Amino acid sequence: MVDVSVIIENIDLLWGGLLMTFKLFIVALAGGLPLGIFLGLGRLSSRKWIYYPVSAYVHFIRNVPLLMLIFWIYFSLPILTGGLVEPFYAAVVSFIIFEATYFGEIIRAGYQSVSKGTIQAAYSTGLNYWQMARYILIPIALRRVVPSMITQSIVLFQDTSLAYVIGLHEFVRMASLIDNRVIRPLELYGFVAIVFLVICSIGSQIVKRLETKEGERK
Amino acid sequence: MKEETPIIEIKNLSKWYGDFQVLDDITTTINRGECVVICGPSGSGKSTLLRCINGLEDFQKGDVIVDGVSIKEISHTKEIYKLRSRIGMVFQHFELYPHMTALENVTLAPKKVFKIPEKEAEKRGMELLEKVGLREHAHKKPGELSGGQQQRVGIARALAMNADIIMFDEPTSALDPEMIRDVLEVMVDLAKGGMTMLVVTHEMGFAKAVADKIIFMDEGRIIEQEDVETFFKNPKSDRAKEFIDRILVHI
Ligand SMILES: Nc1ncnc2c1ncn2[C@@H]1O[C@H](COP(=O)(O)OP(=O)(O)O)[C@@H](O)[C@H]1O
Ligand SMILES: [Mg+2]
Repeated sequence: MVDVSVIIENIDLLWGGLLMTFKLFIVALAGGLPLGIFLGLGRLSSRKWIYYPVSAYVHFIRNVPLLMLIFWIYFSLPILTGGLVEPFYAAVVSFIIFEATYFGEIIRAGYQSVSKGTIQAAYSTGLNYWQMARYILIPIALRRVVPSMITQSIVLFQDTSLAYVIGLHEFVRMASLIDNRVIRPLELYGFVAIVFLVICSIGSQIVKRLETKEGERK
Repeated sequence: MKEETPIIEIKNLSKWYGDFQVLDDITTTINRGECVVICGPSGSGKSTLLRCINGLEDFQKGDVIVDGVSIKEISHTKEIYKLRSRIGMVFQHFELYPHMTALENVTLAPKKVFKIPEKEAEKRGMELLEKVGLREHAHKKPGELSGGQQQRVGIARALAMNADIIMFDEPTSALDPEMIRDVLEVMVDLAKGGMTMLVVTHEMGFAKAVADKIIFMDEGRIIEQEDVETFFKNPKSDRAKEFIDRILVHI
């Protein structure tokens, strides 16, 4: 029988796991976004010595499974740093390196989605480059990019559970530790699934709102 | 008879994209207050020519002189921004700013380039929207307007800088027939009001009604430049003849 008391009894532990998941998510986002902007601009650069290395990096990372990247960084970072690396840092570094390539490609697409003609129209009225960028290019690109950015952030939020493999006590790992003790997989993993579902659905709803607003504008 | 003060002088202008010559030794003069129609097959370099005139595009040979100012000399200086503000431009696909209302589209450049106070810019913007028949649509975004309405906002935006010259690049070719008339009406009014206009179009009715001169281009060259009547009655070149037959059948 389903017995939810196992959830209530272990709510402190589960809450701790969820906090760790959020912490991982926020730090990875805070690092991944700026790096993503940097990569996106690099991919738009007309300078070959910027474009090619950045593109190579983006293609390489996007074609490697995230799980492998996490293992690889967890076991190779100590070689670089000379000491043991905490799972949290290994996970954060992996997520930043990985998600930034996705954020970068979204930013690049947003920039490219602004019609060349619209930019020319702005110039034709006498605006200089910075005025054009501030009032036309950036606002239009940002509006187009925000929904995909949130969607990618939802993916990142789900991906954080992969940190489980290097023993980080995030939400999923916490549930599995409790399960080892009480053997209540149905309730515990069911609860984890519901929490993820609720959080990610809220995110998706926001995206939907933004997209219909953008649609009305077009 | 209009007084003949040149406002745009194009002198032996040539431009290449790599090995491809897109403009080939273009020479012509446009006088203040004239309406000049440019026509010719697609790919003949008409849009490129317009973009060279306001310095949106570099060229390799020759020069364009706008009201005594050499575009070649100022093309990479701050002066080019001032010059562009004096030449309005209207595009085939409108190219309105999608995130701004019609009024904001019109007032952005006066506010940012000329630093005109918000209230004053808006008052003038409303007058211009009234002029193109869109006063009641001032607070709508481009997405809420029809093609013809968007294009009239585009014209108001080009007028907002009190430009001396307005260039139109196929302003009606992306519009449904019933909307073309509204846009052409506004353009005819402008021409009759003495605005200097450079219009790339295949609307020969418009050309016959208001154009002082018609320029026929093919493969980057000016093949003919005549007054409208001569062009239609006695085109000199076979290519112009062919072209006239083709577009007149279309109308
Ligand atoms: N940025 C560009 N790079 C290379 N070729 C171009 C570019 N822009 C236009 N062209 C070419 O130049 C020619 C003239 O283009 P355009 O001025 O747009 O002609 P039109 O307006 O008369 O149709 C075309 O063959 C076009 O393909
Ligand atoms: Mg064209």
